[in-house]
Amino acid sequence: MTCAATANDTYCVTFQDLILKLSAFWASHGCLLQQPLDLEVGAGTSHPETLFRVLGPKPWRVGYVQPSRRPDDGRFGQNPNRLFKHHQYQVILKPSPDDVQQLYLESLEACGINARQHDIRFEEDNWESPTLGAWGIGWQVLLDGMEITQFTYFQQVGGMDLSPISCEITYGLERIAMFLQRVDNVFDLEWGGGVKYGEVRLQEEIEQSKYAFGQVDMPEAEFAALHRDLFDKYYGFTERLLASGLVWPALEHCLKCSHLFNILDSSGSIGVTERTAYILRVRQLAVRIARAHVEGPAQHVVVSEGL
Amino acid sequence: MDRELLIEIGCEEIPASWLPGLTAQIARHLDARLKDARLTPASAADGFSTPRRLAVRVAKLAERQTDFEELVTGPPVSAAFKPDGTPTPAASGFARKYGVEVEGLERTDTPKGTYLAYRVRQRGKTTVDVLADVMGGLLRDLTFPKQMRWDAYLEDGKGDLVFARPIRWLVLMYGGRVVPFVIRRTELAQGPNVQDVRSGSNTYGHRFLTTSGRAGRAIKIKTFEDYQSRLLENFVILDRAERESKIRRELEAHARKLGGRVSGMVAGQSALLQEVPDLVEYPSVIAGHIPVEFLQLPEEVLTTTMIHHQHYFPVVDDDGKLKTAFLAVTNMESEKPEIIARNSERVLTARLRDARFFWDEDRKATLESRIDRLGTILFHKKLGTMREKADRIAALASWIASVPLERPDLAAQAERAGRLCKADLATDMVRELTELQGTMGGIYAREEGQPEDVWKAIYFHYLPVGVEAEAAPSREQLGAAAITWAAVSLADKLDSVVGMFTAGERPTGSRDPLGLRRQAQGVVKILADLPELTGIDARLPLGPLLARAAEPFGGYGEASAPLLTFMADRLAYLLEQRGFDVRSVRAVLHAGIEQASPLDARRKLEALARMSGSRALLGVATLLKRVKNIAKGVVAPAALDVQTLTDAAEQALAADIALQAPIIRAAAARGDFREAFAAIAALEPAVTTFFDDVLVMAEDERLRLARLGLVATLRDLIMGIADISEIVTQG
Repeated sequence: MTCAATANDTYCVTFQDLILKLSAFWASHGCLLQQPLDLEVGAGTSHPETLFRVLGPKPWRVGYVQPSRRPDDGRFGQNPNRLFKHHQYQVILKPSPDDVQQLYLESLEACGINARQHDIRFEEDNWESPTLGAWGIGWQVLLDGMEITQFTYFQQVGGMDLSPISCEITYGLERIAMFLQRVDNVFDLEWGGGVKYGEVRLQEEIEQSKYAFGQVDMPEAEFAALHRDLFDKYYGFTERLLASGLVWPALEHCLKCSHLFNILDSSGSIGVTERTAYILRVRQLAVRIARAHVEGPAQHVVVSEGL
Repeated sequence: MDRELLIEIGCEEIPASWLPGLTAQIARHLDARLKDARLTPASAADGFSTPRRLAVRVAKLAERQTDFEELVTGPPVSAAFKPDGTPTPAASGFARKYGVEVEGLERTDTPKGTYLAYRVRQRGKTTVDVLADVMGGLLRDLTFPKQMRWDAYLEDGKGDLVFARPIRWLVLMYGGRVVPFVIRRTELAQGPNVQDVRSGSNTYGHRFLTTSGRAGRAIKIKTFEDYQSRLLENFVILDRAERESKIRRELEAHARKLGGRVSGMVAGQSALLQEVPDLVEYPSVIAGHIPVEFLQLPEEVLTTTMIHHQHYFPVVDDDGKLKTAFLAVTNMESEKPEIIARNSERVLTARLRDARFFWDEDRKATLESRIDRLGTILFHKKLGTMREKADRIAALASWIASVPLERPDLAAQAERAGRLCKADLATDMVRELTELQGTMGGIYAREEGQPEDVWKAIYFHYLPVGVEAEAAPSREQLGAAAITWAAVSLADKLDSVVGMFTAGERPTGSRDPLGLRRQAQGVVKILADLPELTGIDARLPLGPLLARAAEPFGGYGEASAPLLTFMADRLAYLLEQRGFDVRSVRAVLHAGIEQASPLDARRKLEALARMSGSRALLGVATLLKRVKNIAKGVVAPAALDVQTLTDAAEQALAADIALQAPIIRAAAARGDFREAFAAIAALEPAVTTFFDDVLVMAEDERLRLARLGLVATLRDLIMGIADISEIVTQG
């Protein structure tokens, strides 16, 4: 049954409706609407619209969708709840407004969730990214026992204390859409116009999972060697970009390293001691990039007032 | 007149596990702050909390500080006046400082002579004027397991105000009136959306529930009584005990309706029941159903998913078997609770479906075949992978079974259980439900037909950890597997503790990220309770076990001293936790931890506790101190010089020692310390008479040496059991 055909007590919200509603809501609260980062990332936090904007004193409000890849969560399209790639709706509010929780709850209402009929809870869940030298304090938001959002007050990024403090709200779009459409399998979601999520994404999930777990027509050792080699090349080039003062391109190339590391990890190509060494190398790079951004000319560019 | 003080710190949701501690903190710190401010309340402060507020109330607090009076001493009178009687510069300077004439100063007599003095009198300020400082101090006093910066500071010159979560409102009322106080926001953050938090008389009720008006609107309050009842009208139960009893009542009612009872509640020790009251402001319980097909999953998987992941209470029937139902505590009172119930069922079902997938997949491969994958999981960077750890555990467990436990027939089983005990770390189930490590390995081992002592040894090998919290499995649960289990459990923990110490990872202060204290506690606990747990009465000293565990790491190296101190502390802690006297614990552990057998130590303490009324033993204990001093550095001779010992008292003592020594040693060898201590106590008359009648440090050297030899022999005999001089109370 498609959304168009349902006669529910609540109206039906497609996957794309959800994105539109969140975008409209946050735009009406002063957020710039940005576009996803056109690179492989594990979360919306890696997007410079978060990673760079939360640094330094300048106020910022932004919202965007971020397709997020977790190679390790790939399930060949067979698991109803787990995906190689899922979608986050990411909102950054800097500084974090006093009524941020209320705003968030209103955004849920705007998506069609009636708080009076559900059990919405903020339960302790702090966030930490060893590869970004970053951490924050916050909650996971539970809707009738299901985690739908990660809510974080950033404290440090790139090993630097942040001031003012930004609030990051990360909605799990598939989860919320499944809740609204009352489906138990993500591939049964209606993406829009009667088209199912599975029609849009199932084949991609199958193929991406095979890739993530190294099921490629290529000897294992060669697969690993290629990815290591790519990692080293991107790593070296990132350092050259940094040396040239090109911080944004440096971040993008650092993120490529991060993704290559994730693939090496999920495909079982690296041993344990090596694994920690890789994480450390990415962190060192990310910290240098964050610092270069803070010290660089970016902070002097004046953007329009009124945010 | 005494008036009521009411403080409420309105917060965004504070982590549940912090609330009990913070409730106690806020009351304690307020009491201390009021005392410092010379505002002694008629009764102690009462602390309250819900996820969104910390509150504290003092029923009666005086309107004014007590007056302050202090005598400040100036120069001595002898140096205060010149010969002509006029004041010296020292005296006039002192008087000037307090704005009086020298004639106006008092004189005060001190042991050092008479001094000029000035009496400072300060009338107490009104309470209202002091409370802002008290509030500021209180906010600074509260400490949190993890604190956050939120662009706030106080005007006390101490900078940032960190807190648990952002503070959104503040009630500070004395006698029904607001006391002004402000939490400032930093310049970078401040703006239309980020503002100072000013004290007021408004509180806020439940986020979503209301009987009238808009949910979450401000509620004006005057008194504590008013506050508590207005909150209740607005769906916030302030008193934690009331929240807990509402939860308990509703859980039981729902469980009855379902024809069962709530699992784990009978014992009243449900950790979940301890946690949920701090997760909600207005609890109510809903019931959901589990599709029957999931009951084929192991019960451990079902309950862990429900309890740890979803905070749901399992329901069991009269035989303790899981029913197809669960109960969830919500923070809502919904007109349509079935909506929440249905959604909760869906979340749980999704998780259980995952678990069933893992259960089916995991069983397609044997544990043995997973050992290779352990090579990809790091135990510690200096100690290698889990695979290497499993190999070490296997070797150590096999040795423990055959040598210290003297059961070589079980060595092969212990070896196998040791090798397999970490294999479940490479299963999907444990990757997902980490709480089930060990347990799951045991279940999979059972499923693939491993013998009972192997699967049970794996199942229980993480236990016991800590002192009492998670007790060791019982003899009954272990059955025939008890000895194999003990070997594996000891081997795993010894390997972790010794390995981590040699790798330089030592717990410091409150930092023990690897949980080594709890693991070491497990080691001493198994050894101390070995007969009850395994039926083997082996009094194993820690030294050889530690040394053997250290072999793969090339010995303790530099870790030796800190490791031994650490183990000694763990053993002492265990014994003290069991209620034994601190001094007695010192007495039985005096010989050093390597020689210490936790089981012997425990039995000696039990014997000492039973003999605590013995005057004779106390008499010997008292004199042992003297014995130790006199015989310091003296090595006891192989045989007493009985020819030289001619005094009646010393002959009597030598004879008594000769009589009791074999009894003491034989009793100790049997582990009958009651008899050993009784025999020591029997020495009391001879020892007392000896010290009354005999001068040990005689002029004659030969005599002196003979007497010292006698005293040293006595010392060694007693100290071989315990340094009972420790049990003597000072004075």
